Amino acid sequence: MTDVSNTHTTATLQDRIVLGLVKFFRAEWSGAFLAILILGIAIELATTGRPFFHPSNLMTILNNSAAIGIVAGGMTLVIITAGIDLSVGSVMGMTAALTGYVASFWGFPPYLAIMTGLSIGLAIGAFNGSLVAYFGMPAFIVTLAGLSIWRGTGHLSTGAQATPKLPETFDYFGRYNPFAGLRDAYREGTLSGVWERFGAFVDDNWINFFRTFQMSMLIFISFFVILTIIIANTRYGRWVYAIGSNEPGARQAGINTPRYTMITYMFCSFSAALGALLFLGRAPYAKSDYGQMWELDAIAAVVIGGTSLFGGRGSLWGTFMGVILLKLINNGLTLAQLDTFWQMVVTGLIILVAVGLDIVRQSKDPESVRKLLGALAAVMAFLALMTPGAIFLRAKIALLEHNAATSLREAGETLAAGQNARLLSPDEIVQLQNAASSNLVAMILLLALVLAACSVVLRTSRINSFVLAAVFVVMIAPVTIMGYQITAPFLVLGGASLLGSAYVHALFARARALDVNAH
Amino acid sequence: MRINKTFAGVAVAAILASSAVSAQDVVGYITKSATNAGWMMINQGAADAAAEEGVKLVSVGPAFQGDLSSQLEVFENLVAQGAKAIAVAPVDSAGIAPAVNDAMGAGIPVVAVDTGVSGAEVTSFVATDNYAVAKVQGAVAATLVEDGQPIIYVTGNQAQSTGQERMNGFMEAFAAARPNSEILQVPTEWNSQEAQEGVEAILNSRQDIAMVANAWDGGTMGAKAALENLGFGAGDVKLVGFDGAGDAIAAMDDGWVHANTAQMLYQMGYQGIKAAAAAARGEDVSARIDTGFFLVTPATSGTYKAMVGIE
Repeated sequence: MTDVSNTHTTATLQDRIVLGLVKFFRAEWSGAFLAILILGIAIELATTGRPFFHPSNLMTILNNSAAIGIVAGGMTLVIITAGIDLSVGSVMGMTAALTGYVASFWGFPPYLAIMTGLSIGLAIGAFNGSLVAYFGMPAFIVTLAGLSIWRGTGHLSTGAQATPKLPETFDYFGRYNPFAGLRDAYREGTLSGVWERFGAFVDDNWINFFRTFQMSMLIFISFFVILTIIIANTRYGRWVYAIGSNEPGARQAGINTPRYTMITYMFCSFSAALGALLFLGRAPYAKSDYGQMWELDAIAAVVIGGTSLFGGRGSLWGTFMGVILLKLINNGLTLAQLDTFWQMVVTGLIILVAVGLDIVRQSKDPESVRKLLGALAAVMAFLALMTPGAIFLRAKIALLEHNAATSLREAGETLAAGQNARLLSPDEIVQLQNAASSNLVAMILLLALVLAACSVVLRTSRINSFVLAAVFVVMIAPVTIMGYQITAPFLVLGGASLLGSAYVHALFARARALDVNAH
Repeated sequence: MRINKTFAGVAVAAILASSAVSAQDVVGYITKSATNAGWMMINQGAADAAAEEGVKLVSVGPAFQGDLSSQLEVFENLVAQGAKAIAVAPVDSAGIAPAVNDAMGAGIPVVAVDTGVSGAEVTSFVATDNYAVAKVQGAVAATLVEDGQPIIYVTGNQAQSTGQERMNGFMEAFAAARPNSEILQVPTEWNSQEAQEGVEAILNSRQDIAMVANAWDGGTMGAKAALENLGFGAGDVKLVGFDGAGDAIAAMDDGWVHANTAQMLYQMGYQGIKAAAAAARGEDVSARIDTGFFLVTPATSGTYKAMVGIE
């Protein structure tokens, strides 16, 4: 016992870091958070101009995450009960369209239109939920049918026409800025005393900070705070988890599982309707084709956030991070002006990495964590390789295609337009040959690095990891001389992850020791 | 999606069966979208032409925008059940080619509307020349900014010829006239939400953007919403549209949009079905029907509105 108190009173900085890491990785949102951090740093390095982590840019991301975020919040609860709701995108589109429709064409005052939208959400949820909970129909099928039914109903009831611009009341769900009035008053000179100074401060920092401080973001964050408190502190919250982890058991324990399943589906559709209102607050008009594919984005956000598709395990903050990660990918890749088709590939890869991080996070095996870090280094080396590699391959492929088209023509075939376009002028051939040869050395060097990193994934000693990490860093010099400065961040990240991988076993051992002592 | 396709198949069968009684020629019309504002004008033109020609129009849209497999399936159903001609707006120029080849081989004339078919002959291709119109759009846009002022271009789907041609035409003409202006791209798949979020991200990180040019008017409206979200007023950042959709023309009257190259959307559907009906009767049809365009500016918007019937 004295030993235990000793370790606590004299806990070294190192031990505190270890404990901190353990605590961090126990949180379900840590995988998504790490992915956000890594991606943010990568985008920071790739873009010029205003820093990516600028508060105004982060608030823009939050503003544009708000609508889908609230939809994903409802989805999280459904997935924790081991259910699924594929209809949220269609419900969002239909409620958005109908809310705008009754406000624009039936002369409903805005608050009544909003109530109508939210009631439609609740009613659809009751319909979906009762089929799932009381008629025992599979949630996947019920909501897949809903995906089609509600989208069609939305189109039918509004003629799939856009409404005119909505009344300003809807701005309170979206683009309304609480500081806008103060700034206007300051500019008109109607303020005095403290208010005048505050107004001047807001006006000075308008572009840098206050411009993007909008209702979307405030509602988004409040929604998650309130929902988290409800889930953590009510019987309903505990029962959602109980239903998801063991439904028959929960029923035997006396929980009215059908009723709470139905409430969860009602809440999910209600969230979709609320998300529609937030979307209308930023959109040009109301239209029934809003929210297409949102069900997939919402499910992706929930899963990236560490919630299990099999139910019983998950967290709302994970979903919050997951939504932000998805929107951050769009925002960052647009700012970095990455090619359209590469954006698609990169988006998918980032989602895989985020989910991979989460799986490794849950594993109690240090070896698999070490392997992941090694694999991450290999991926970084591969990305560095592709900088000269892509030029080399493109040149080689163009030459090959030229040769193929030439020999087809010599064989007497008539060439199609696409094949003729593959023929090159003599100048172009020389250029491509130069491009291929000048990139060869850098490519071979980096290819060797990729292979070394791959071998480390399979089997290694601590010394090997150290040496390879050093090689990663040393490699920056020759490739920079060859003109590939852009690969430096990849190599640094790769080196860092190898360095980390060397310490994984020690870290786990120490964490276990501390854990044993603590209990 | 399976469910949607089955419904589409049943619907085609039912309509074809009922039309056999009335003994009208059946013309199939496979549209790209039933909900996009521009497409609704094209579809209206198609319906009016069918009524005038006295043919039965079997109109089928994909289950969602960009769904090639349901277009292929509907195509097969129409061929199998004896349509006299088929007008199609392919969601994928190359992907639709095998189905077009089968129909043409079976002696059924195929008219491509709006988007061309690559890799198969068609009886007629009825469309605006997107590339030529986009060059006009780029040249007009260039007159709205100084050389060196950066602009944003909101793209359409770059996997489709329409999206590619509009972007290439714009880029060439604009860059020729304003060689020192940086062009930042916001990639979209014809989705106004993507346009809004991308434009908002760039406008928020840079203060020097002078104009947002768009590959279609859904993008124009998304870009306008982005400007409003950031507290810009009409004309602070200029907007240039493509399509001449009603809401973008209204935004022009309010001072937001400064130029818009309108396709004659109604004409595209109208002439497409006219050509298909003529081909169904065995008449000769021109292989390329250009439906033209109209440059809408604040000065010409009155003429344009009178022409297409916007109050």
